Amino acid sequence: MTTISNGAPPAEGLVTRDTPVGFELVGVKKRAVIQLMGSRLWGRFNPNHWDPRYARETGLAAPIQTGEMSTAYLAEMCVNHFGRNFFTGSRMVCKYINATLADEIITTYGVVREKTPKGDGFRFTVDIWASNEDGQKKTVGTVEVDVGV
Amino acid sequence: MSEPTAGTDALRPMTSIQVQQTRDFVESLDQESQPYWDMVEIGDELSRDLHLTPELVILYADGVEDFNPWYEGWVMNKWHIDGQSPFGGAIVPPLLVSHFVLSVQFDHTKPFAVGSIHTFHDTTIHEPIPVGATVRILTRATDKFVKRERRYVRHEVTVTDSETGVLYLSETRDILSL
Repeated sequence: MTTISNGAPPAEGLVTRDTPVGFELVGVKKRAVIQLMGSRLWGRFNPNHWDPRYARETGLAAPIQTGEMSTAYLAEMCVNHFGRNFFTGSRMVCKYINATLADEIITTYGVVREKTPKGDGFRFTVDIWASNEDGQKKTVGTVEVDVGV
Repeated sequence: MSEPTAGTDALRPMTSIQVQQTRDFVESLDQESQPYWDMVEIGDELSRDLHLTPELVILYADGVEDFNPWYEGWVMNKWHIDGQSPFGGAIVPPLLVSHFVLSVQFDHTKPFAVGSIHTFHDTTIHEPIPVGATVRILTRATDKFVKRERRYVRHEVTVTDSETGVLYLSETRDILSL
């Protein structure tokens, strides 16, 4: 029987216990859209996140995204690859090392660095980062996720 | 009231009334506030409950263009639905509650401390959170430190179910303060 996907990732994700160290995750790509950066739930409380004039007055070249937006981009990549496993006992560490400016295009990346045997499977450690089109890293970190445990 | 000037509409189209409304809003945010460093003492605890309504989840996910159907407890035409995920009904995006920690660790009864930047988080996701749950976000200031001549405030955070006490998420996070 053929089932039609509704756009959801595979329940178990794309990474299996056989996925090797060095495997590269396929990231997500987003534009830092000023209207989204300044939406009420995200950055409207602080005009540095959406107002060019205020940002310039405070020394910024342009409005900057909240760091949590790039965390959300990276989490979306992780859910695509680890599925339900990302919601139980995973760890995500992020450092915001450069500001994401309005209109930049951000792509997320991940590379499996390590697999530690655990139960019937492994705890995967993945280096993750988000960069702009010039390759400038904005957010760097790691995730740890159990697969097949 | 400040005079509208070029720049407000630099990144999105606006008419003069939209520019004026924007300038008025920005001006209304200008409050007397302390630097965050001065607002926080080590050991300070703050807690708030947050109802994770389907609409709130949609607002979060739409803002980052994450259209995973697992997060949908509300869809156009049907409105409220149970939703579907590998855990049964709709669940909350994994880092959503982390975003709301800001509204707890910055005491919302005081003026917001401008000039503060979130720089780091170390988050453990223990269990999926069902859409519709009410969670208790508890923050505790654990450290204030200076690194490369910059001042940081560290918090430890737990997010639990307000009714059952289930631990959903724990986190260490740093804020850089003026």
